[in-house]
Amino acid sequence: MKKVFLLITALVLLAFVGSASADVVIAFSQIGQESDWRTANTDDLRKAIETHPGWKLVYDDAQQKQENQIKALRNFITQDVNYILFTGVVSTGWDEVLKEVNEAGIPLLLIDRLPDCADRIDYVAAFGGDFVEEGRRQVAWAGEYLKSIGKGNQDVNVVIMEGTTGATAQTGRTEGNLKALKEYPHFKLVGQQSGNFTRAEGQAVMESWLKSIPKIDVLIAQNDDMALGAIDAIKAAGKVPGKDIIIVGCDSVKAAFDAIVAGEMNCTVECTPLYAAFVVPTIEALERGEKFDKSVIHPAEDVFDMNGGIDLGTVKSIKAADVISERRY
Amino acid sequence: MKVSRLMQSKVTWAVIAEALILIVCFIIRPDFFSISYQPSTGMLYGSLIDIVNRSAEITIISMGMTLVIALGGTDLSVGALVAVAGAISLKFLRWDVLTYNTPGDYTVYPYVLVIFVPLIVCALMGLFNGFLVAKGGMQPIIATLILMVCGRGVAQILTDGKQFTTGYSPFRVIGQGSFMYLPMPIIITIIVVVAVALFTRKTAFGAFVESVGVNPSASRLSGIKADTVILIVFMITGLLSGIAGLIYSSRIMSNDSNNAGLNFEMDAILAVVIGGTNMAGGKFSLAGTVVGSLIIRTIVTFVYYFGIVSEATMAFKALIIAVVIVLQSEPVREYFAKRARKKEGVSHA
Repeated sequence: MKKVFLLITALVLLAFVGSASADVVIAFSQIGQESDWRTANTDDLRKAIETHPGWKLVYDDAQQKQENQIKALRNFITQDVNYILFTGVVSTGWDEVLKEVNEAGIPLLLIDRLPDCADRIDYVAAFGGDFVEEGRRQVAWAGEYLKSIGKGNQDVNVVIMEGTTGATAQTGRTEGNLKALKEYPHFKLVGQQSGNFTRAEGQAVMESWLKSIPKIDVLIAQNDDMALGAIDAIKAAGKVPGKDIIIVGCDSVKAAFDAIVAGEMNCTVECTPLYAAFVVPTIEALERGEKFDKSVIHPAEDVFDMNGGIDLGTVKSIKAADVISERRY
Repeated sequence: MKVSRLMQSKVTWAVIAEALILIVCFIIRPDFFSISYQPSTGMLYGSLIDIVNRSAEITIISMGMTLVIALGGTDLSVGALVAVAGAISLKFLRWDVLTYNTPGDYTVYPYVLVIFVPLIVCALMGLFNGFLVAKGGMQPIIATLILMVCGRGVAQILTDGKQFTTGYSPFRVIGQGSFMYLPMPIIITIIVVVAVALFTRKTAFGAFVESVGVNPSASRLSGIKADTVILIVFMITGLLSGIAGLIYSSRIMSNDSNNAGLNFEMDAILAVVIGGTNMAGGKFSLAGTVVGSLIIRTIVTFVYYFGIVSEATMAFKALIIAVVIVLQSEPVREYFAKRARKKEGVSHA
């Protein structure tokens, strides 16, 4: 009986100590679960913050609605949290609520999608993918790969399958794609069309291209889903994906790794959702009183392909089969 | 039938519009019409085949939508049901997702479940819509809005917000298989269209639908069970959305709860309207709806084939649809019917 009493007292004391030291409250307003990428992004950040000693997470899933996010941000202000992590479902319409956050004096960390008003509000740090660089890497990989198999001087017909028109990932990657095309004079752009980032439309666009464009050598798809859809269309046309047509995707989702290992896709440029590795040290540094400038911190990203070893200047490609077992999303 | 009658029919103008678009295609690139045999898939291969093949989902759904609109309503939930059907079948196909890491040629569940559970669930969801309209007295557009919004959520929950990919080859047959040199979706579409046509035109059911659409109270007084008609029509639409959902997910061999069937309700309504069925209810034309669906897909294929820049795609589609709708408008049809009548009058005299 005495032992039980002691145990209970100890537990109560522990709980007390535990709650007293949970002093850093980090609020996270997430867009919603729109894709595998987003799910991985949420899981990664939640896990890292929840398991961090001395930190407490307040998480809000906005279910892809701006009004929910605005409501969540105002709730965070009322709760007087210590930090707010924010990624906006759309790019506009955040001025008012983010100014309220500023007025409340809560440090704001922007992740992934930056709002249009970013230059008019105060934030302590921003993290986001470098879409232009991703677009550049896609074309550069195809160029360097063709050089590596001794086809660097042959004329190459390239098609670019774009994402949803106007999305930041689409505008950025298209800019990168087109810039990099100029560096490879043998590359000729013969088709450019939106596949809306979906498998079904990627398939339909490729299906039409295969009939309207006499010769396609390289497909640059601005995400893996469209590339995966295109693979089926290429098969239906009696061609061999990955051999007759070189396929470069983007995002590096699990299904793309499967396709690369199966030899049906050639390369996928990473767009990582795993932000915790940058967000956690940043918040730790902010806690110590360090300051960051307003420039966007890009996560380190890799390029995965069939054999590895293609040098893209800023990064060297990694063989997909070697890392497929470690992929979490 | 006299030319003047033909000129007055909206279906005629839908056919003329489709023909005009195809003529433009032919003028720009005659090889748009080339059809060849593709030995590796055992199917015919060409843009015209693509148009019919890719219009399958919308054609199938709009068969149900035609009946709903003939009742004077609209069903907004069809797109969400497409996502639900895909999510359920992929859930069955990839129940083993944690055990087997890569999508292979296996399913731990009997294939019957993969096909029939989604169809039954979608039919029941359609029945739920019908119940709200018939028994709850709700406006169809509001009643079906419920499933339109929460259907996609259900699909997300079923698959934990994940996109599963499968390699199970019997499932591939639905969207990518072939029968008699034609892609399987075309075959399924033909079966569905014929079945719905027989059901509505060879029985009195079609007349019941039109009657309820024109005046529910009068039809009830004349002995038609309006509630039963409404329930059946919404259930059929749900079931057809399920079939479309299976085709959609089989094409991409995965579920895509965010994008599967997105805006399909709008395309289906458009197909029905282009096909000449009045939004106010009453008379309907299944043949017209099929042509309407083909027009929509022809425009999309045109955009892809001729490489219209993606920024202009939406505006281009809207422009063509506007032209089609104007061609079908009362004054235009009346003008041509009058001219035809004059000619007929002259030849008789």
